[in-house]
Amino acid sequence: MIDQFLLGLSVVLQPDVLIYAFAGVFIGQLIGVLPGIGAITAISLLLPITFYLDATASMILLAGIYYGSQYGGSIASILLNLPGTPSSVVTCLDGYPLAQNGRAGLALFVAAFSSFIGGMIGVSILVLAAIPMTTIALRFGAPEYAMLVVLGLLAASLIGTGSQLRSFAMVLVGIALGVVGADATTGFYRFVAMPELADGISLVSLAMGLFGVSEIIRHATHHGRPTPRLNLKIRDILPTRAEARSLGGPILRGSAIGSFFGALPGTGAAIASFMSYATEKRFSRTPGKFGKGHLPGLSAPEAANNAASQTGFIPTLTLGIPGDAVMALIIGALILNGIIPGPRLMVDQPLLFWGVIASFFVGNIILLLINIPLIRLWVLLLRIPYQKLYPIIIVMICVGVYSHRTSVVDVVLTLAFGIVGYLMKSYRFEPAPVLLGFVLGPLLEDNFRRTMLIYRGDFLIFVERPISAGLLACTTALIVFSVYSAIRNRRPPAGLPAKNEH
Amino acid sequence: MFRTLMTTLPLTIALALPAVAQDSFPDRALRIVHGFGPGGNADTVSRIMAEQMTQGLGQPVVVESRPGAGGTVASGYVAGEEPDGYTLQLLVGGHAVAAGLYNELPYDSVEDFTFLSTVGQFPFFVAARAGEYESINALIEAALAEPGSIVIGHSGVGSTQHLTGELLGLETGAEFIHVPYQGGAAASTALMGGEVNLIIDTGTVIRGQADAGVYDILAVTSAERWPGYEDVPTLNETVAEGFDVISWTALGAPAGLPEDVEATLSEEIARVLELEDVRGQIEALGANPQGSTGEELQALVERQIAVWTEVIDSAEIERR
Repeated sequence: MIDQFLLGLSVVLQPDVLIYAFAGVFIGQLIGVLPGIGAITAISLLLPITFYLDATASMILLAGIYYGSQYGGSIASILLNLPGTPSSVVTCLDGYPLAQNGRAGLALFVAAFSSFIGGMIGVSILVLAAIPMTTIALRFGAPEYAMLVVLGLLAASLIGTGSQLRSFAMVLVGIALGVVGADATTGFYRFVAMPELADGISLVSLAMGLFGVSEIIRHATHHGRPTPRLNLKIRDILPTRAEARSLGGPILRGSAIGSFFGALPGTGAAIASFMSYATEKRFSRTPGKFGKGHLPGLSAPEAANNAASQTGFIPTLTLGIPGDAVMALIIGALILNGIIPGPRLMVDQPLLFWGVIASFFVGNIILLLINIPLIRLWVLLLRIPYQKLYPIIIVMICVGVYSHRTSVVDVVLTLAFGIVGYLMKSYRFEPAPVLLGFVLGPLLEDNFRRTMLIYRGDFLIFVERPISAGLLACTTALIVFSVYSAIRNRRPPAGLPAKNEH
Repeated sequence: MFRTLMTTLPLTIALALPAVAQDSFPDRALRIVHGFGPGGNADTVSRIMAEQMTQGLGQPVVVESRPGAGGTVASGYVAGEEPDGYTLQLLVGGHAVAAGLYNELPYDSVEDFTFLSTVGQFPFFVAARAGEYESINALIEAALAEPGSIVIGHSGVGSTQHLTGELLGLETGAEFIHVPYQGGAAASTALMGGEVNLIIDTGTVIRGQADAGVYDILAVTSAERWPGYEDVPTLNETVAEGFDVISWTALGAPAGLPEDVEATLSEEIARVLELEDVRGQIEALGANPQGSTGEELQALVERQIAVWTEVIDSAEIERR
């Protein structure tokens, strides 16, 4: 493995290949910062360029955009509360409060560093354990996914700062919103008020509305709120020794969780980041600090989503099976170059296979190197007065949302979700569980109904299959543990919401 | 003076417009609209065509993705646009399926379009895990012997892949269980993981696994054996005589395109489809690059609307 990896490094370190690795992560980073414009839009626009590049360079470029945008996404989440993907929703939870408390530089540094470690661990797993991970991923069928999502939903209701009952209610709201659109099992239209909703509500609309737009409305309705204090000295960007020490565990646990879930096609990356957040919070001695600018709450999910975005390439590279829409695009570029992605890729195209993997290694280093100096520049964004910054952001959100499906309905919905999000915040309901319910609800429904279809309605299948049974046991244990600790403590759940900040 | 100007202005414009269209089409950017997400097959084919047509027509050709409701959002949009040649649509096989699948479409699938040319045609392949079935005949025999024992994974309810599986059941009398996945790749993963017994999908989904010896390709859905896969038998010659399913990509425009504009566009599409690069790219996508006349394309669409509407009715698939 190591020999082949070195072979890959020799490919990627050639100047004419290295430039594509650099270009990819750089473009990805910029795209990630722009609200609402995701890697998928960027990659599809750049696809024609790859007609003129060889397969290795195309793959390295497009893959760089993909994981580069993960980095960029956390910048917008931390500074402006604008998550573009489900995984950056979790980054908002503690990243944005940090920025509001004048610690934006520190938050960006911790996010970049955690992402780097997570990414590197993800690449290492990819090099050392791609084949065994593939074998495990293939053992996840419909019953396993259904049980995994149940565990995920439970974790989702743990991530709010307020009462778990309120979080759980918001998860249910999210699931209800996820029902809109064509039912995947029968094709029946549910709540499709207009043809634009046939494929459901856009995730980007919901995320941008509930988080970004609602925050802007909140600021607009509270005059004279001071611009957060900016600390730009190097000392303020770096964590203190005690803080640094507290990050080791979360980063490693986040990377492990991310590496595992990332390798599961389809579901992985979305679940990974908040599963790691929920894990940290559940087993923390100070769960009350989460959601108010707690560094472990930022570093664990950042490590997780970047590890996941690397191990997400495992099914793509070893089986030729794209785990999500972006991977499908990258595979499309390979196909256009006359290369058939599949299990033979590793054997037939070792230079391509290992070159791409080595480029992840190099790309993560490049990202860290360009990110640290840029932190001070990004933080300056916050110095722009709100009344000038916010109109620009609203316009960018609208453009970004529109670019996804070329749909005006989506733009109107985004603004409507903004108002809903504002009202929710006013009544101390949190938006994050809504989003997670929205992502996970349809996954649960699809996989549950698929299980019933394949196994003729036999419920016992969930306990007969070992992985599914294991996941079910985890879920049960988590519920029992929660109930037990609630009874033992006999006190209000830690972290009752602080008085509304405005 | 002003009054005279205002009354004659519309007339002047009306007289001038056709002249402009005749002399200098195109004199501004064109767009190819399609109804699927960025990066899908339709998007990629659109971009391949747009790239070359930009060279040939001397005006930028941009690709516009308007995804939604199986491509019908885009078709409804294009049908309502001006038939001036500046708005084209990349149509796919699903255009014919939609005519049978949707209760109310905001357009007529044939009358509201000017059909220009096919771009590529491709068959579907029937694949199972290597060594599981000796041949397509063995598979159908197993299905007939124990109804409901064979599970087909497909890429979504109402997809051409799904309907092809339903048609196979109707033609052979075999009873399959059809399980929907989110796209062909997910169905393929399920086949590899052992959750389903069979998938019916395009070469791009199946080829990689077949080359590696993970899958056996049991049959092809076209009436004749497919170039490059000469050793794969057709369903037509083995278990279902007359079975003939291919899917396609094509270019169309709103109905009522001026004849000269139509001619310019058809000529340009024919030219692009002869280019070595383009042929190579379309072949790489698993399709046979093949142009046609507008009439041939329209006949193909009409024929497939009839077939799929019947399959949807016979298989009792819920209309939406």
